[in-house]
Amino acid sequence: MSLHEQLGRLDAAREVSGFKSEPAQMRAAAPGKVGELRLGFSLRGGRSVLHDLYRVAPLLVQQALYFDEAMPELPICPIISVGGGILQGDRYKIDIKVEAGASAQVTTQSANRVHQMDANYASQHQTVTVESGAYLEYLPDFTILYRDSRFINQTDIVIAADATLIYGEMILAGRKHHHADERFGFDLLSMAVTARRPDGKKLFTEKLLIEKGDPTIDDPAVMKGFDAFANVLCLTPPDVATRIKERFGTNFPDEAPRAISGVSRLPNGAGLMLRAVGVESYDVRREVRRFWQIVREEARGRTLPQEFLWR
Amino acid sequence: MMPGGGSTKRGAPSGMAHLARLLQFSDSTLPIGSFAFSNGLESALQTGVVSNADSLLRYVELILRQTSRMDGIALLHAHRAALSGDYDGILEADQEIFCRRVGEEQQLMLTRVGKKFAELVLKISPSPVLERWLGDIKAGNTPGCYPVGQAIALAHMGADEREAFVMHQYGVASMILSAALRLMRIDHLDTQRILFTAQGRVEGDYSAVRELTLDEMASFAPVFDVLVAHHTTTHVRLFMN
Repeated sequence: MSLHEQLGRLDAAREVSGFKSEPAQMRAAAPGKVGELRLGFSLRGGRSVLHDLYRVAPLLVQQALYFDEAMPELPICPIISVGGGILQGDRYKIDIKVEAGASAQVTTQSANRVHQMDANYASQHQTVTVESGAYLEYLPDFTILYRDSRFINQTDIVIAADATLIYGEMILAGRKHHHADERFGFDLLSMAVTARRPDGKKLFTEKLLIEKGDPTIDDPAVMKGFDAFANVLCLTPPDVATRIKERFGTNFPDEAPRAISGVSRLPNGAGLMLRAVGVESYDVRREVRRFWQIVREEARGRTLPQEFLWR
Repeated sequence: MMPGGGSTKRGAPSGMAHLARLLQFSDSTLPIGSFAFSNGLESALQTGVVSNADSLLRYVELILRQTSRMDGIALLHAHRAALSGDYDGILEADQEIFCRRVGEEQQLMLTRVGKKFAELVLKISPSPVLERWLGDIKAGNTPGCYPVGQAIALAHMGADEREAFVMHQYGVASMILSAALRLMRIDHLDTQRILFTAQGRVEGDYSAVRELTLDEMASFAPVFDVLVAHHTTTHVRLFMN
C-alpha cells in the first residue's frame, strides 16, 4: 500500500474531521512535512544487521550501533527527529521489518514532542513486521502532547507465531510544570494498534481515544493523581508469555503510589499487555524497564544493562 | 417471533407480553452466571479506587461509559446484522469485540456469559440464528461474546436496537451493583439509588455510539486496566474478575 493510502485513511478518521484547516505556515503534508523511515534488519553471516535504510526528513536514522553491553549482538537504531518535534500538518510513516531469526532495537533520541497547534493535526502510520524467530524491541521515548495539539497514530503489526516483539507507547499528558492548562490540555490523542499473523489472522486490536473535555480523565479509575501512562505490548508465544507474567508482580501500593502497573493477557494467545500509570515520566519508565528486562530475559536469555545516567 | 405478543402492521411486536419478556431477559437473576463477576470492582475496593457510595456511583458510570463505547458498539452492529440476515456480520462483531478484550478474566466473563445466555434462550424458544451461533462457538469458530448473543436473541424477539442497548447497559450496572452488595459496606437502598442515577446516562451513551463503526471501538481508563491485571494476582477473592 502506498504512503498516501495509509495516511489517507487516517485523514478520513472521524476524530480529525474538525481539524481540517490549513496551517498559516507550510500546508499540511507539503514536501518537508512528510517524514518517512524504512528500516530492515536481517541476519548476515550469523549477525543481525540493518540492511535496508530509507529516510526522508524530518525523520532520520543514521546507522545501527551495537552498544548494549548485555546484548552486544543487538543492532540499535535511534530515530532522530531533525524538526525538533511534531508540528501541525506533519505526516509520518515508519516501516520496520525484522527478517527471520534477526534481532533489533529501535528507539528514539529523546522525548517526542507534539507541539501546540492552531490548525490541522499531525498523523503517523507505522508498520512493524517481525518474521519467524525474530526479536524486536521498539520502545520510543515518551510522547509529550502540548496543549491544543492533535495527534493520530495507527500501528499495524504482523508477527510470526514464534517471534517476539516488545512495543511501547509512553505518554506524558503535557508539559505539566509549564502551564496550568497543559495537563490533558491537548485536543486529540488517537492511537490504534492492530496485530495480525502473517496469514492475516487478527490477534489483537486496541484504540485509545482521548478528546479534549473528556469528563472521565480525573476519575479514580482513569488518571486521577497521575500524569503519565504507558501501554507496552509484548507479542510472544504463550509459554514465554506465561513465564513473563509469573515473574512480573502487579504494583499497586496502598499509600500515594508514585506509579502502578500490571500485566494482562491479550486475546487469541497473542501475548501480554503492560499498563503502567505514574506521577512523572520516570516513575512510569521504571515500570516499563522492569517489564522490559523480564521480557528480554525470558525471550532471549539476555538481561538489560544499567540505564545510562543521562536518561 | 415468540407466540403471545401482539404485533403492529409491520410485524414489530408491541404490547404487554413483549415488554414482559424484555423485563425477563433484563432480570439480574437470569441464570447466565453473571453473579460470578464484579467487573473490576473487587480490585477497585482493595486498592481504594472505590470506597463508598459516591465513589461506587462514579465507578459504575465510568464502566457504563466504557462499555457503551466497546461492547455497546458490537451489540448494535450484531443486532443490525441479525435483523438483516447477515450472519457474517454477526461473526465479525463477535471477533472484533473479543480481539479488543485485554485480561483473561475479562475474556472469560465475555465468553462464558455469552455461551450460557445462548443456551438458556435456546431452552426457552427456538432461534435458528442463535442455534447456528452456539454451534460455531462449540466448534471454536467464533468466540461467543455476550453482547453479540444478546443482540441475536433480542433481534429475534423483535426488540429494537435501542431496547437491546438499554438492556445491555442495565445488565452491566446491575452486575457491578450486585457484586457491591457482597463486597462492601453498602445496603440495597444505596445500590438502588445508584442504579437509578446511573441509568440516567443511557440515552447520551447511545447517541454517542450509534453511528460508530466497529473500528471506532475505543477506550481510555488506564487505572481500570491495572485493576484488571491486579485481580489476576490477588490470592483472596470472591469474584472471577
